[in-house]
Amino acid sequence: MDIITGILATAVLAGGVLALAALGEVLAERVGVFNLGVEGLMALGGVTGIIAVTIIPNPFFGFAMALVVGLVFGAIFALATVTFRANQVLCGLALTMLGSGLAVTIGKPYSGMPAKAQFDKVIVPYLSDLPILGRAFFSQNILVYLIYLIVPAVIAFVLFHTRHGMNVRAVGENPAAADSAGIAVRRIRFLYVTIGAALGAGAGAYLTLAFVPSWSDGVVAGRGWIAVALVIFAGYRPFGAVFGALLFGVITALGFVGQARNWPIAPPFLSMLPYLGTIAAMILPVFVWKRLRLSFTAPAGLGIPYFRDER
Amino acid sequence: MAIRFVRSPIVSPSRALAARVAGFVLALGLGAVVLGIAGFDPLHLGTQIIVKSLGSRFGLEDLGLLFTPLLLTGLAVTVMARMGLWNIGADGQFYLGALVTTAIGLFIKGPEPFMLVLCFFAGAAGGALWILVPTLAKAYAKVDEIITTLLLNFVALLLVYYVATGPWRDRVSGTTASTGRVPYKMPDFFGSLHWGFVIALAAPILFALALRYTKWGYEVRLSGANPDAAHYAGIPVRRRLITIMLLSGAIAGIAGMLEVTGTVHRLQGGISNNYGYLGVMVAVLARGSAIGVIAGAFLMALILNAGIILQTQGLTTSAVLALTGLIMLFTAIADQFAHYRLVRPQAATG
Repeated sequence: MDIITGILATAVLAGGVLALAALGEVLAERVGVFNLGVEGLMALGGVTGIIAVTIIPNPFFGFAMALVVGLVFGAIFALATVTFRANQVLCGLALTMLGSGLAVTIGKPYSGMPAKAQFDKVIVPYLSDLPILGRAFFSQNILVYLIYLIVPAVIAFVLFHTRHGMNVRAVGENPAAADSAGIAVRRIRFLYVTIGAALGAGAGAYLTLAFVPSWSDGVVAGRGWIAVALVIFAGYRPFGAVFGALLFGVITALGFVGQARNWPIAPPFLSMLPYLGTIAAMILPVFVWKRLRLSFTAPAGLGIPYFRDER
Repeated sequence: MAIRFVRSPIVSPSRALAARVAGFVLALGLGAVVLGIAGFDPLHLGTQIIVKSLGSRFGLEDLGLLFTPLLLTGLAVTVMARMGLWNIGADGQFYLGALVTTAIGLFIKGPEPFMLVLCFFAGAAGGALWILVPTLAKAYAKVDEIITTLLLNFVALLLVYYVATGPWRDRVSGTTASTGRVPYKMPDFFGSLHWGFVIALAAPILFALALRYTKWGYEVRLSGANPDAAHYAGIPVRRRLITIMLLSGAIAGIAGMLEVTGTVHRLQGGISNNYGYLGVMVAVLARGSAIGVIAGAFLMALILNAGIILQTQGLTTSAVLALTGLIMLFTAIADQFAHYRLVRPQAATG
């Protein structure tokens, strides 16, 4: 029983990183912009969080500063892809290189040191006493509750239950039609890409202030890319992203447990699990749930820059 | 009487080049300002780069050694770009080419020329094998190739790390981070520059010729330009997609093979040196032209070489990576700006 609780607790903690980044990517892709810069944004957010708590030892301050940095770099990315309409794949890769490179350069003096402040556990009364699930789900840091419940609920409500959300989705599905209906396509794209980027950077701060908690070169380790892949797996839905992230948290946790318990598998192979799992999760559903796939398709306008004059 | 920007869908090559140069200079300028603020002397660094990389025989040899893998990884990405596909996994395919070559080098004995040919084809097969799953997933299930190829990079990295520090680690010299020396070696012809360079230089030319003069090349070009039209014209688009993706993986695998037999001579964790990711940038600079890959790879090799020189001046690899990202971002934006033309409205209509 203890081992299951342990795996679940680690899975929730590890999945939170992916969930927050994937939620940000859901926002960007819903308005039709493919942001491949998540990996770089996470690195920037992670290092920002660590530097911020070194100055003011408060995890909330660190997290907030990461969000701000995410907004700034998100705005730069949106300026390139939405305003100038440059190639999204290229700009995303460029953002990843720029962000990872900058983060490692700036973070050098902080490398390997434990975070000066981190998010403490918030134990939910009564619920945390539940057998097996209690400690895993209701004895986590505050960000976990935010990421798994509040943020996806807000995003789902806005996207699917408000008129504004309808406009947002229209921008991603058919920007030309949305434009003729009087929706400010570029403004909505800019806004959501930027907010999405802030969540990506926030995921980095979660990594360095709640999960690891320290900064080192390579700490992001491809989690940004897994988050991008998760969005496809999640069918571009906020709670799908959270569920997928939890699933990959379990895979990650299994790897940890395997290493701790000396399973007869070399650690590098256990570390491969999340990547292989992601690939399997992208391919298998196509064959298993053919019908379901139809309602899980990408927004039709995804990846295509919108030019009003070439409509 | 406002000045308007008008977008034209087609860009003349000279305009595109001018925009590129402007973007490149702007990115370098921005980098120089940041370096200046950080306490470096950008002008001094700039002269150091030019003198050390182009002004000496050793500099040129190093440049050639960096040029070689970039030609191939850049070509690998370009080959797929011809069909509208992105291969972000050239790094992983490079690793597999290197891994297979090392396996042959460590465990099979034979006459050197024969073994080098064997390594060449085995490296190609290793790279192709590494892209097989993304290829089939793309061809039969329309699974996005960007993410699948990319995630396999991490798997390849871990695999190479495992064999280089585990079962194949060098027990003779006692280093734990790499395998033993691979006995088969590409012959050199200019200092430390090996014949792999010539192979790498010939590859884009061969591909360009195949694209232009063979039926296969015609079908690939048509499938890339308009898959639906190609399908109606009776071209087996899916089969072309599969061959082009496997070819792309094979080319990146050959890059890994040449790196082991020509330059590094052993397998180690960081052997890919990000060549796969930089190949994406080379392909971008080449704008889908196979011959353009030669120019793109040369520029990228210059930037990389500059990075190595900057490291001797106190900069880190990550700073160079950031600068590369900045250049890429500005290039992408410049490509868009090339489409715009300033138009002054006529006085009569104003």
